[in-house]
Amino acid sequence: MSITPEQLRYCDSHEWAYVADKSAGIATIGISAFAVEELTDLVFMALPKIGQTVTAGSEFGEVESVKAVSPMYSPVSGTVVEVHSELVDKLESLSVDPYNEGWIIKVKMSDPAELDRLLDWDAYKKQCNH
Amino acid sequence: MEYELGDSVQGLVIVDPPRSGESNMAIDEALLRNATPAWPVVLRVYRWDRPTLSIGHFQQIEDRKEVPHLSELPWVRRKTGGGAIVHDRELTYSILIPNRANYSVKGHNEALYRAIHLSFVEQLQKLGWDARLSESCACAARVEKIPSHFLCFSRRSPVDVIIGNAKILGSAQRRSATGLLQHGSFLLCRSQSTPELCGLLDAPGGSNPNHQKKLGENAKDFASLLEADSDTESSARVLDDWLEFFVATLKMGASQLFSINWQNGSISNLLTTGKGKTAPRTDG
Repeated sequence: MSITPEQLRYCDSHEWAYVADKSAGIATIGISAFAVEELTDLVFMALPKIGQTVTAGSEFGEVESVKAVSPMYSPVSGTVVEVHSELVDKLESLSVDPYNEGWIIKVKMSDPAELDRLLDWDAYKKQCNH
Repeated sequence: MEYELGDSVQGLVIVDPPRSGESNMAIDEALLRNATPAWPVVLRVYRWDRPTLSIGHFQQIEDRKEVPHLSELPWVRRKTGGGAIVHDRELTYSILIPNRANYSVKGHNEALYRAIHLSFVEQLQKLGWDARLSESCACAARVEKIPSHFLCFSRRSPVDVIIGNAKILGSAQRRSATGLLQHGSFLLCRSQSTPELCGLLDAPGGSNPNHQKKLGENAKDFASLLEADSDTESSARVLDDWLEFFVATLKMGASQLFSINWQNGSISNLLTTGKGKTAPRTDG
């Protein structure tokens, strides 16, 4: 079943988190359609390794577009359990479907309460349109 | 960044002596890492103490083998994107715009690329060069969405500054939580390491034989002086002229975005006090 933007939580910095099963405590992380549009032509992406720890608000990867390198920030803290490594060779799928085909990493959360500090869809939309 | 067009901000100009690739990149990294909302906009202009290859953040150093002669050069990785540059007969700048708040936009800052590059177009045109942006010239090499060349100056993006088909100014950026860093290279003359890439002073059809400005006349001298690899008093004098032009043009470009009160300063004071040598103590 396809994930829709309304189901996600967002950082100010345009990353999203989705938790399919709260009991498993695993968040899927990506970047929003708004961010993909801002980035325009993505040419490179650097991703973390499985087992790496990430911290909410800290960098977990980088992207390059139009000769500009931008960080990607993790919405939650925890350990990387899965990496969408094929994505780096098909970055165009981020433009097509940033919320499904364009997922970036999965993180086993160390503090699921951090999700409550993220923006919901309405608040995020408002931020993007301000 | 969160500056509005026309905002009044402090600016610090640092004209550095030639340094090694490691030092030059370490200084720019330190600028970006240490920037605080109280910092001025920092414009740093510098050269390299020997011909050096800088590669873009995501480039693979092994790919330099695509281009003859590059393996002979010392190399360093930039924090900014884009392609590789031979820092030889060129001038380099970095401009740091500190974030005023927790600002987290992704992607390039088109306005900064454009403001700086258009300033070069305008000032070079005043000196008689037929300079323009890549995007405005149908005769320029095709603009590439996905870069295929290892060297920055073999690539084309819409806001590159070109003379004829020769790219003479290219820039790249890096964002972080603390600010936006833009690097750029102004290619004066062809380097022996990249003989296929001419610069401002040896671009075919580039210089206007009728231009009368002192800088333009000196420019030709400088090209020949560099060709002879001489390190003479006159080449130093002409280089000073070009540095002066470079700094003035960069300042004018950045000032298209904000109203900047520029002052001269030094790296060491900026990194220790956050204010630079002569920046006021009460800003921010």
